[in-house]
Amino acid sequence: MPVINYETLNTNTDLTTTRTLLHESIPLTGAIISGTYGTEGSEENIKNYTHGMFQSVYDYPYLSSSANHIFDITMGYHASSPFSGSSSTQNAKKINLYNEFAQVLLGYTASTNTVEIFESDLNFGDNNSQMKSCYFLSFARLLTKDQVKKGTFAITLNTGSWVVDNVGQPTWPAGPNTIYTDASASEIAGTNNKGNAGEYGVLYRNNGDGTYGDGSAVGVGVVFYQAGIVVLSSSIFDGRTTGGTTYPLNTFYRKHSNGFLQGVSGAFTGSTISASCDALRHRIANISYNNTTELNSTIYFCRAPANKFNYSYNPTYTTGSKMVVKTIASDTPVAYITTIGLYNSSNELMAIAKLSEPLKKDPTNELTLRVRLDY
Amino acid sequence: MAFLDNSGDIILDAVLTDLGRQKMAAGTFKIAKYAFGDDEIDYGLYNKNHPSGAAYYDLEILQTPSFEAFVYSGAGINYGLASFTNTNLLYLPSLKQNEKIKTAVLMTNSLYYLGVNQETVTALQSGLGNKQKVLENNNTAGYAIVVESGLDTTDLVGDASNRSSYIVANNLLDSTYSVFFDNRFLANVLSPTAQSVFKNTSTGADATNLILSTTTATSRATGMDNYSVSSARGVNDLVYYVTNGTGVATSVSAIAGPRGSATAASFKVVTGLDASTTGTTDAKYTRYGKTGQDLGFSDGYTYDYIDTTVLIVGATTNATYMATVRITRRAS
Repeated sequence: MPVINYETLNTNTDLTTTRTLLHESIPLTGAIISGTYGTEGSEENIKNYTHGMFQSVYDYPYLSSSANHIFDITMGYHASSPFSGSSSTQNAKKINLYNEFAQVLLGYTASTNTVEIFESDLNFGDNNSQMKSCYFLSFARLLTKDQVKKGTFAITLNTGSWVVDNVGQPTWPAGPNTIYTDASASEIAGTNNKGNAGEYGVLYRNNGDGTYGDGSAVGVGVVFYQAGIVVLSSSIFDGRTTGGTTYPLNTFYRKHSNGFLQGVSGAFTGSTISASCDALRHRIANISYNNTTELNSTIYFCRAPANKFNYSYNPTYTTGSKMVVKTIASDTPVAYITTIGLYNSSNELMAIAKLSEPLKKDPTNELTLRVRLDY
Repeated sequence: MAFLDNSGDIILDAVLTDLGRQKMAAGTFKIAKYAFGDDEIDYGLYNKNHPSGAAYYDLEILQTPSFEAFVYSGAGINYGLASFTNTNLLYLPSLKQNEKIKTAVLMTNSLYYLGVNQETVTALQSGLGNKQKVLENNNTAGYAIVVESGLDTTDLVGDASNRSSYIVANNLLDSTYSVFFDNRFLANVLSPTAQSVFKNTSTGADATNLILSTTTATSRATGMDNYSVSSARGVNDLVYYVTNGTGVATSVSAIAGPRGSATAASFKVVTGLDASTTGTTDAKYTRYGKTGQDLGFSDGYTYDYIDTTVLIVGATTNATYMATVRITRRAS
């Protein structure tokens, strides 16, 4: 049915555009990442691939159509890392993965056109604090949306060794649980926009007393906000020095089938990528961040002036050609708005807006209805 | 679609239509105009006699729940709000079909039969038992759908004075009509020429003379898929209250009160639909209609037909008349 009573939009006065950032809190509990859907080695929400280059974490058994992809885990090292060597398991794939992340996120050095190396500080390019062996957590677009909100990312990791019980079987790794966060980053400071994939912030250890890290500017990983990728240095699991005392982490990885234990360097060199990812997953106690959705909106101001839109073509508006809302001619005409249609120049309905309750329109009032379309 | 929550603040729920998304994908999305609608409202709920006073007249209307927005572009605003500068209008014209004048086609079971060729017309006239029940394809001398615009009320006498004061002076005269038709089936609209007259005699006799000619569709956008629009002349409806003799104006006019204008429409079908029984059945009959049907005339013939909707809309008042036309071909 064609509508005839159109009102032309004045693009100078009836149209404006806005940009709004929406944030959602994304809490990921460690139980989802390991433990809820099966026992170690047969977890139904963890998808491993035949190529063995990464594993995917879902929030539900991944064969179900209800499952949502949360993030991928993989690891790798630079060719100059001490872990690199022909005897290392999946050596080429680990190098390739490191290079893939580095070239996409950081790009190449201008002078020699070689792939950059991750650094755990904001002074990129000084070649200090390089992270040559890393874990990579790539969060799904479904959760990250447009980007991770700066200063909101936190990951809680268990950094202790596996505890061996009385019968000689390793159980859950002992504490302490340590929080690593980018809390020092914000929209106005604490980030670096080096590279090809947007800005990154540095992950520091949360000391729990309002301080972060060890007092230096060096962290243990970085978060690429727009890419939604977290890079964690393997050095997190080298052990921890507190008060002059070093607590080595001798048993980072436990091979679930036979209780085999090894340190993080052993996991990087002697374990497959998926096995090493298993090791990390079982140390993740919690992940949380806020995502960001950028809403670009066009607002159309649809005006109903006092002298217009006071009558209706609705068939119920008249009975025997006489308006049902009037008794005598001098009664004020009235109509009720429930719908706003937005049309193109060919009278085709492009968008439609519905009011939750009718709005009364008569010659004594003017209405301006803001219709916002988000993109 | 569910209802919108109307328990608190007023919410405006806006969505792109399917067509809007299509245009956006094609890079041609641009909004140029807007309109207001009130399709959910039943103005019959407006209670001017509410015992609690004027503040309660529209209590029921204001509680009308609204649906969430439909994304189907064809389900947007069906009628819409109107703008008339005169706030003292009490009557609005409506369109009514006229089956009283000698050239008006008669409706059969809520639809109009349109015979696509002479053998079909002959068969339909015989089967329906009345020649006046059949529109003839592209025949300017045949019957036509006749529609009048006016104030269909017995409150006002349908004389020249009231026509002038209630219709013409209030700019409610439809001097032209828009005829929307499906261009997959109909090629042209036949509508009245400037020589047409629509009046009665002083004694109340039918003095109408609607002369049809072929019009071509305008380039105006219709906002409806596969629809074109032709402009049809609005002939001044000068059927007046009869003061001389025993005749009544309503023996000629379908409108009870003052009349504004009238128009007529017949059609030419697109080439191919008019094939005779020895010709090939157009595939459109199979796809959009029915083929080989016994229409219950007990004439031994079978028919192919397509039902299509034609809208006749007053260009000034936006009053609308919707007709279903059955494009009919004798198949055997």
